[in-house]
Amino acid sequence: MKIFLTLMLGAALSAQNVPYQRILNAAKEPGNWLTYSGNYNGQRHSALDLINTGNVKRLKVAWVHNAGGTESYQATPIVVDGVMFLTEGPNVVKSIDTRTGTLLWRYEKKIPSDLRLCCGRPNRGVAILGDTVYYGSIDAHIIALDARTGRLKWDVEMADYKLGYSSTVAPLAVKDKIILGVAGGEFGIRGFIDAYNAKTGKRDWRFYTVPGPGDPDFGTWEGDSWKIGSGSVWTTGSFDPESNATIWGIGNPGPDWNGDVRKGDNLYSCSFLAIDVDTGKKKWHFQFTPHDTHDWDATQVPVLIDGKFRGAPMKMVATANRNAFFYVLDRNNGKFLAGKPFVKQTWAKGLDDSGRPVVIPGTEPTEEGNLVWPSLGGGTNWASPSYSPQTNLFYAPVREQGAYYFKGEADYKPGVIFNGGGQRMKPDEQPYGAIRALDPENGNLKWEFRTQNPLNVGVLTTRGNLLFSGTGQGDFFALNATTGELLWRFRTNGGLNAAPMTYAVDGKQYVAVPIGQALFVFELMD
Amino acid sequence: MRATFRLASLCSLLAWSAAVFAQDNQQVTLPNSPEDLARGKKLFLGSCTYCHGPTGDGGKGADLSRQELVRAKTDGDLARIIEVGIPGTEMPSAWHMTRREVTQVAAYVRTLAKVDIQAVAGDVNKGRGLYAKNGCANCHTLKVDGVFTGGLMGPDLASIGLKRNGAHIRESITDPAASLPEGFVPAKVVTQAGRTISGRITQEDTFAIVVRDAAGNNHAMLKKDVKSITREPKSSPMPSFKDKLSAVELDDLVAYLASLKEQL
Repeated sequence: MKIFLTLMLGAALSAQNVPYQRILNAAKEPGNWLTYSGNYNGQRHSALDLINTGNVKRLKVAWVHNAGGTESYQATPIVVDGVMFLTEGPNVVKSIDTRTGTLLWRYEKKIPSDLRLCCGRPNRGVAILGDTVYYGSIDAHIIALDARTGRLKWDVEMADYKLGYSSTVAPLAVKDKIILGVAGGEFGIRGFIDAYNAKTGKRDWRFYTVPGPGDPDFGTWEGDSWKIGSGSVWTTGSFDPESNATIWGIGNPGPDWNGDVRKGDNLYSCSFLAIDVDTGKKKWHFQFTPHDTHDWDATQVPVLIDGKFRGAPMKMVATANRNAFFYVLDRNNGKFLAGKPFVKQTWAKGLDDSGRPVVIPGTEPTEEGNLVWPSLGGGTNWASPSYSPQTNLFYAPVREQGAYYFKGEADYKPGVIFNGGGQRMKPDEQPYGAIRALDPENGNLKWEFRTQNPLNVGVLTTRGNLLFSGTGQGDFFALNATTGELLWRFRTNGGLNAAPMTYAVDGKQYVAVPIGQALFVFELMD
Repeated sequence: MRATFRLASLCSLLAWSAAVFAQDNQQVTLPNSPEDLARGKKLFLGSCTYCHGPTGDGGKGADLSRQELVRAKTDGDLARIIEVGIPGTEMPSAWHMTRREVTQVAAYVRTLAKVDIQAVAGDVNKGRGLYAKNGCANCHTLKVDGVFTGGLMGPDLASIGLKRNGAHIRESITDPAASLPEGFVPAKVVTQAGRTISGRITQEDTFAIVVRDAAGNNHAMLKKDVKSITREPKSSPMPSFKDKLSAVELDDLVAYLASLKEQL
């Protein structure tokens, strides 16, 4: 730890420069937070332990940066050598000096007034590579900015926003490429993941999340439904350097709740996709919810775990899926290893040997409304989970809630909402939430910390044996990662949607999280 | 679809409901073919009956069988209310319906209007006297001489005639616990220090709770200081007036309450 802090002080004097090798070895410099999830493995775990179970009670606000907007504030900041980069929905990128909390630069993109959006205008953050910061804009462009000044380097349109395409995901920088996808799963888009040359903005490859003619999986869509099959990509993927695969979670098929017009499994909706970073070719896929009709996107951060499975060393990818099941897969080939529900669910008898759900007949949406658990918000949603190598536990923010699902009209018109139904909450139910700690080998519950309302707040764990998360009602808290005991909390009364992160500068550790319309940064009081 | 959260962004669902009728003030023409009405009825039965009843004559929700819907005098208003709901009330948005489906439901709602069979038989003036005599104002608010006045423990009744039909009002007087309005479940909180507070829970989250007592005082507590929280969803602090009023008096009181239509 001391060695790293000394190195970091030296680095703080130089301009931001983050070559690929630095991101690849991010674990060696835990004072920095170099990707959306902290590093490539998607664990959202930090090796910092200056703040720990013994002193977290002394955590106080160091500084606050007011965003001044009205959008849900969902970004995870990136921190490099004492300089922070983050986005604010709908269209602002900022750089902040972390020592003083002072704004270094602000970039605002002009955006059209006739955007086609389902769910507000959030943005989840930037990627950094070299001396450049990258983000996906709400009008479906990818933008490159100079990290020192915010000056625009290049701006490339990914797709036509008038057809419902947008981008809200924090990109992932791998090698010389910037990888990201498009949102718009309620507009009949045809989803894709793109890789752009970081220097030029030229597109290196595109992988369609809905396969076209000639693809072996093309037959999983009836007729022409693949052309408007959705499969959006709005949560950042992970990267496995050993297999050269970047793994991403794919959103719902469209229309969301009326599956009659898209018979078949509808690959690669509701799946994890592993793509070779160099070629853009698929290595494997695993579909959690074939022919989804409940809007259970698989847009969860894939968590890469090197551990043991039934006694043998295994390279795994784990996820708590929106469909209420926890899964662990072999990340070299996407094969199912184990899975079980982590919240109440009433739609499947279980998972078969291949991990495919055994669906209970009569659980699809109907015109009259069909009561199913979980609700469309899912057993969990896009909020980041965490894995701690220290405790060997997988932590998920969960939602215990059912809903009546409705099937409605599904007439596609370009650029118009195309959802084919919806849900109504069960009126006499008191839904609730929890942080649940699961054994990653089998999904068994180790402990839970209950919350009044279902959660959609990300989770951070640290080597200080701490877990940081919060509630939508604006409480930010720290738990003992081993036991789930509440150790500290801070009330803001602002909505919390984002995931916390941590960094260190000048030998001091900080925890940062956007809450309400402000970024809060915490430090230990002396 | 994305998150449903911010509890609202929660489902951000709400975001797309802003779609159409709310934004353009164009004339709305409701469909009237048998197919459209049949479809509207089906959608109504799925999404609306929990509050408005299968025939639309109300219950938890407004009586839609009256000739004139106060908040929805025009078809455009009706479509807009179905589409975006009524903020601040229990009426949610039908964000899951397409524009055509919204108009089909609106068209079906218009067919529910009948001669005002819900008209209440009693004498409004006598009912006013009974309201005063029976101490209703100790717990309920009304608008009197231009001022909202009365107790805070029970639901505000100033516009109850717009929200509930006569049958529902009658049931609330004779069997108050049969259908409690949202937020009026009686609760008893015992603190670690041994103090007991009775009232209704007006706020609750993971760490704190607020109980409002009969006098309108707010008691805000951290849950760690609370020993027990008991909710009684099948009971009401309001006594039943079933045996305290004659059949004629009950008609009069219902008629009076049904006449309270303060526009909020």
